[in-house]
Amino acid sequence: MTSPTPSPPFAIEIANLTVSYGPVPALLDISVKIPAGSLVGIIGPNGSGKSTFIKSILGFVRPDVGEVKIFGESAEQAKGQVAYVPQRGSVDWDFPITVREVAMMGRYGAVPWWKDLGRRDRQIADQALEMVRMQEFAHRQIGQLSGGQQQRVFMARAMAQGAEILLLDEPFAGVDAATERAILDVLAQTKKAGRTLLVVHHDLATAAEYFDRLLLLKQRLFAFGPPQAVLHPRLLSEVYEGNLRVFADMQSREFVADDEVSR
Amino acid sequence: MSLAWDLFVAPLESQAFQKALLGGSLVAIVCGVMGCFIILRRMAFLGDALSHAMLAGVTAGYLFMQILFGVEAHAPAMLIGSIVAGIVTVALISFVSKVSRIKEDTAIGIMYTGIFAVGGVLASVFSHRIHIDLYHFIAGMVLGVGDEDLWLMAIVAAIVLATVILLFRHLQLTSFDPVMAASLGFPVVALDYVLTACTSLVVVSAVNVVGVILVVGLLVTPAATAYLLCNRLSRMMMISALFGVTSVVAGLYVSTWIGKVATGPSIVIASTLQFMVVLAVAPKYGLIADWLRRRSMVPQRLVEDILGTFRYSSDNRLAFADIASHLHDSPSHEAVRRALRSLERQNLMTESAGTWVLTDEGELEAKRLLRAHRLWESYLQHVGTPLDELHNQAHQLEHLHDEETVDYLDDMLGHPILDPHGQEIPEDFMHLVPGEPVKASLLRESMSATVVEVADELAKFDVAVPSIITAGPRTDGDAIWTFHLEDGRTIHLNHDQADQITVVLVSPQD
Ligand SMILES: Nc1ncnc2c1ncn2[C@@H]1O[C@H](COP(=O)(O)OP(=O)(O)OP(=O)(O)O)[C@@H](O)[C@H]1O
Ligand SMILES: [Mg+2]
Repeated sequence: MTSPTPSPPFAIEIANLTVSYGPVPALLDISVKIPAGSLVGIIGPNGSGKSTFIKSILGFVRPDVGEVKIFGESAEQAKGQVAYVPQRGSVDWDFPITVREVAMMGRYGAVPWWKDLGRRDRQIADQALEMVRMQEFAHRQIGQLSGGQQQRVFMARAMAQGAEILLLDEPFAGVDAATERAILDVLAQTKKAGRTLLVVHHDLATAAEYFDRLLLLKQRLFAFGPPQAVLHPRLLSEVYEGNLRVFADMQSREFVADDEVSR
Repeated sequence: MSLAWDLFVAPLESQAFQKALLGGSLVAIVCGVMGCFIILRRMAFLGDALSHAMLAGVTAGYLFMQILFGVEAHAPAMLIGSIVAGIVTVALISFVSKVSRIKEDTAIGIMYTGIFAVGGVLASVFSHRIHIDLYHFIAGMVLGVGDEDLWLMAIVAAIVLATVILLFRHLQLTSFDPVMAASLGFPVVALDYVLTACTSLVVVSAVNVVGVILVVGLLVTPAATAYLLCNRLSRMMMISALFGVTSVVAGLYVSTWIGKVATGPSIVIASTLQFMVVLAVAPKYGLIADWLRRRSMVPQRLVEDILGTFRYSSDNRLAFADIASHLHDSPSHEAVRRALRSLERQNLMTESAGTWVLTDEGELEAKRLLRAHRLWESYLQHVGTPLDELHNQAHQLEHLHDEETVDYLDDMLGHPILDPHGQEIPEDFMHLVPGEPVKASLLRESMSATVVEVADELAKFDVAVPSIITAGPRTDGDAIWTFHLEDGRTIHLNHDQADQITVVLVSPQD
């Protein structure tokens, strides 16, 4: 039994990536392969290079050494396959534009400038809105939505773009618990649709619950794998030096777990 | 002597000139002071709007007195009219930008043109009743100011300066950080109105000098000039007022000398020129200072490249020409010389009779860079870079040479001894210092060290603590470490195992 043209197993392949802005590298010798369809949390202390990592995948920063491959192609060839969901703070929420129009922006790259968006493009945008369950708000101006809904609109735009890979830089920063839930729902849905998601995340306490894999970064790649393996106290204390509260918290959890096992 | 007299003193004998000088200076001072707030709060467009709106106010005030009381050109009425027009404009602007999503600059554009147009309609409908030349409001006529105007200017100056001096801290804080001002209980909104009212007053009196269209120039340019020179608001206000006065004086003289030139424009040209000159020469924020700063800054890369050229010298001495010829992207000799001077200042190099000599410190620094370069070459080969690209890529990368990065590369590559071209990579002399504990894997052949700790996993090798070990040659593609023990045995360890012995280097003289 042979399967016809198996799809490439890795969404993102990074080999020996070093990126620097000055005399000290922001990323040093990072090699990692991220399987398609996974929901990956990127963790690490402030200034550890998480945003730089995201930017290298988007092709915004030029590596000193190494390469980034998207579904086996170089980053330039794969333009449009990777979508970036912006931070909420960077959007003008008063802009006169409706939810559906934002979703439609996802199709702008697919249509030559002298043509109008076709029926097919509208369908795709509507499907994307349906997927994030925002179709009932299609004609609202984007300022008149809750934080979680706003996040979903931009996820829809990324999906309408047809991007297989979504990069989110701290989508949970400054949102309440309900919104966090709502965003998580969308992440789960998107993953179910077979897309690959990379999410910069700061809260170690919830990281294990939210993601299938974690990528622990501090200039170098310290770990990539299932949360239980990455959230190892020894590893965390090495990466979050001085940040003892988090570390202590993790350790006490582990002790609790050990207790339960021994009983 | 007599020429200077003719040029500078003779005009002073005319009364019109004296009044213009006095009035113009008063106006320039208040404009300079208010201008500081205007540029710091980005209100320049509002100043422009106010000056246009007041033209409608003047027309309305004139017509009001003329039609109802038959009085021609009643100055107080025209003044009140222009202030009312200013206040109405500001009120409408803040109303529109508060109740709608229209942003403030757009609201200003809507309202002031609207009011200005109303003034235009009034002036044309009642043109038969208006017996003064409205043109002087548009272009300004400082050489024609009367005593009434002078009084107006003096009163405005007194009110504005008193307000600014009394409320200085309040105005400063509301301009810099309105949120904090509010939290301290400052009446932020009222203070905004105070500032706007002062601006209207200033605009009204400045229109006499330079006219509606150029008022903004007098408000903004001297303040912006001072902004380039000062780091404190109080000082900025004084210097701005001074620049205002100098531009009025210069403008007045030039227009009298040349004769037919309108004074308003020549005052504004003077202040613009003043600005351009300061922009060029300002010590901190000026173009020339910036250029000088950039010129005197020695690029770190060049400094490092120069240290790198000493690998081509056997005795750490190189002539200038040799240094320049070994440098990769042929920088100018001037730049190389500056970099050498900078190295000299850092005590990394000395010059004697045209030859540059590395100091001991400089030699260490050069060795550190060489180590970084060769480790990067090894790394690049390790990740599959073609041999002929190694040197150039490593040349770019060797500038990433902080200790952590180099240590990481060294460890990752298994502490290589030779680079891809077969040249020796200097040992880790940063850590291999007598008295400092290090991993035994850092030892190079024939180095001796005292063992201070051995991990339990190495029990089978039975290395005594303390004891002296001496490193032998590496074997198996440099992947196996050989150590001669004190008791005459020789052991062979891999990288991991060698890492588990902690040693302290024995200094050569021991
Ligand atoms: N444009 C830049 N110029 C110079 N240095 C930069 C630039 N952007 C980032 N850096 C440096 O690179 C390093 C990594 O920055 P990056 O923004 O990737 O960190 P991060 O992990 O996203 O941090 P945070 O959690 O605070 O968002 C930091 O040391 C930072 O100072
Ligand atoms: Mg970041």
